Amino acid sequence: MVTDFNLTSEVKDNSLIIKTSGYINNNGGEKIAEEFNKHNKDTLKRVVMDLKDSKLVNSIGISYLIEIIEKLNDVNGKMIFVNLDPTIEKTFTIMGLFQFAEKAESVDEALSK
Amino acid sequence: MNSNIVERLALQVDSFQEGFEILSGAKNVQEMGKRFARILRGNFLISLVDIFYKQNPDGNWNLIYGNNANNASCLNVTQSDNLQINYNVNEKVKICVILPLTDKSLFAVTIGKKLDQSDFSEFDKITLQVFLQLLANAYQSFTNRRKEKNLIFELNQRVLQLNSLIDTGIDLAKFENKNLLLELAIERAAVLTDSSTALVKVISDDKQIDEKIFPPNFESAEIVKSENKITSSFVYQDKEYNFILANKESRSGTASYTDLDQLLLDAIVRQVSTAIENEFLHQQSIIKERIEQEINVAASIQQMIIPTELPEIKGYDVAGINIPSREVGGDYYDCINLGDGRYAFVIADVTGKGIAASLLVNTLNASLYAFLNFEISLTELTDKLNKIIFTSSPSDKFITFFIAVLNAGTGELDIVNAGHNPILLLRSDNSIEKIDAGGVGLGMFDMGIPYEGQKVNIKPGERLFLFTDGIPEAMNENEEEYSDERLEKFFLENKTDRAQEFIDKIVNDVRTFAGNTEQSDDITALYLIRKY
Repeated sequence: MVTDFNLTSEVKDNSLIIKTSGYINNNGGEKIAEEFNKHNKDTLKRVVMDLKDSKLVNSIGISYLIEIIEKLNDVNGKMIFVNLDPTIEKTFTIMGLFQFAEKAESVDEALSK
Repeated sequence: MNSNIVERLALQVDSFQEGFEILSGAKNVQEMGKRFARILRGNFLISLVDIFYKQNPDGNWNLIYGNNANNASCLNVTQSDNLQINYNVNEKVKICVILPLTDKSLFAVTIGKKLDQSDFSEFDKITLQVFLQLLANAYQSFTNRRKEKNLIFELNQRVLQLNSLIDTGIDLAKFENKNLLLELAIERAAVLTDSSTALVKVISDDKQIDEKIFPPNFESAEIVKSENKITSSFVYQDKEYNFILANKESRSGTASYTDLDQLLLDAIVRQVSTAIENEFLHQQSIIKERIEQEINVAASIQQMIIPTELPEIKGYDVAGINIPSREVGGDYYDCINLGDGRYAFVIADVTGKGIAASLLVNTLNASLYAFLNFEISLTELTDKLNKIIFTSSPSDKFITFFIAVLNAGTGELDIVNAGHNPILLLRSDNSIEKIDAGGVGLGMFDMGIPYEGQKVNIKPGERLFLFTDGIPEAMNENEEEYSDERLEKFFLENKTDRAQEFIDKIVNDVRTFAGNTEQSDDITALYLIRKY
C-alpha cells in the first residue's frame, strides 16, 4: 500500500501520545492501531492523537480510530485529538467521533483533561 | 417433558436471562465464545470446554476458546441449517455441538466429562439446548448491532461525501493558482473514494505534459498502469485534463471501485472544469476592463483633436459635429484658421473604429498640422499624408480624406478629395454640385500617382456640406439605409439661416429615421454657409 504516513509516539503520565504526519488511510490507520496495541490499554488513561501534520484522513483511517476509541471506552480511557486541521475536524464531527472522543488545542491541554 | 423438568427449568429462567445478557454484551465473537464457555462450565460443572467458530460452512474451524484444537476432528457438518448435537462421541468428548447461525457462520462446542464423572441428564441436555439458543440469539443481536453500526458509519460517510463535495466546490472556486487547484482536487477525490493514489495529467496542445500526483512521492506510471482505477477527463482551452484515482482501499487491503466512486470523481472533475473556466473568464473580464480603460484614455485624446468650437469667419457661418458610434471613433473633422484670411476645412474617415482607428486619426491630425505650416500645394500635402499613413497603418486600414482651403475674401475653395464620398455644394440656382476630384484614400497605395486638385468658388447664399458615410448609411429597423438621395433632398430642402441649425436638424432626421436601431457608424458633418 502506498503511503506518505509516519508516526512517533511517547508515553507520559499514563497517556500514549501519537503524533502523525501524512495521509491517514488504511496504512496509516493500521500503523496507529499497531502502536496502540503495543501498549497495555488497561493502564492507559488516554491516547492523545496529535494530527498537526496530517491534513487528510479517509474512511478506512477513521474506522481504525473508531476501533481504538471503542477499546479505550471499554476500559474507561479516552482519546483526545489535538492540532486538528479544520477539514479533519469537520470530518470527525460528521462521522460522529466526538460523541466518544474529545479534542483539545494542545498536547498539554489534552494531558490535563 | 415431565413436570419435574419444567419446574426446574422455570427456576432457571433468571439464570437464562442473565446468560443472554452476558453473551449479548460481548464485543466480538472471541469474547462471546469465551463467555459461553464460562456459562457452560458454571452450569454443568465441567472442566473441558472448547469453542470453535467458522465464518462459512466451507471454511476451517478456528478454536476461539479452549486448548483442544484437535477436537475439531469430530466436527462434521452434515446439515448446515440445523443444530447438531452428538452425545458420547468418544472417551474425552461427551457432547459435540454444531450451531448454525443466521449469517451462515457456525459455532461448535465440544464438552468433556462432568467433574463428578456423572452422565449428562435429560435436564442437562434440555438446559444445554436452551443455552445454545441463547447463544444463537446473542450472536444475532451482536450481528444486528454490527450491521447497525456499519449502517450508521456508511450514512455518516455519505453525509461526509456530500458535505465534502460542497466544500470542495467552494474551495476550488477560491483558487487562482491552477496548480494548487489541481492538487486540492486530487487530494479530495482520493479521500472521498478511499483511494491510495491519485493523478491529474494535463496535456497541452503542443503535447507538453504537466502532472500532479498524490501522494507527491509516488510514481505516475504506477498509477497509470494500475488495474484498480477510475478515470475522468475534460478539455478546455486546448488542454486535456485527465484524472485517475487508483488503488481503492479496504480494511482487508484493496477494494473495487463502485459507481458511486465514479460519480464522486466526475463531480469533482466538473467542479475543477468550472473553476478553471470561471478563472479564465475572470481574467478575460480583467483584460476587458483594462482595454476599456485604455479605450477611455484614447477616447479622451480623440476628443481633444475634435474641435470644441470653430473659428468665426467673417461673411461665413460654419458648424460641425462628431458623434462616435463607440467610445473611440474613426471619424475626424476640423476647421483650421491658416491666417491671411484662409481656412482649411477637413473631414476624414478611417476604416474601422476603436483604438487602431483612433491612432490613425491622431497620426493624420498631427501630420496635417505639421504640413499646413509649409507653403505647399494641397495635392502635395495630400501626397505626403498618404505616404505617412501608408507606412504607419496595416494593409487593411486607410483613411478617406477631404480638405478644402477657403480664401474667405474671394470665396475660392482649393479642394482635394482623397477617396472620401463626394462633398456637396448647393448653388444659388438650387443645383447640387458634387466635388470628388482627388485620388484614392490615404494609406491605400503608395505608387506615386499624384492627387488631383480642384478649385471651386462659393458665392453668397451657397452652402458646402462635408459629411462621412455614417449619415447616408445609417440603418433603420428594416435594415434600410438613410441613403444619398434622402441626404441630398434634405440638403436641398433645408436652407437654414444658421449652420448649427442645419447640423441639428440633419442629426435629428437621421435619428428619427434610425428609430431604435443602434448607431453602427460614426456621424460626422461640417456645414458652411457663405452669408455675403
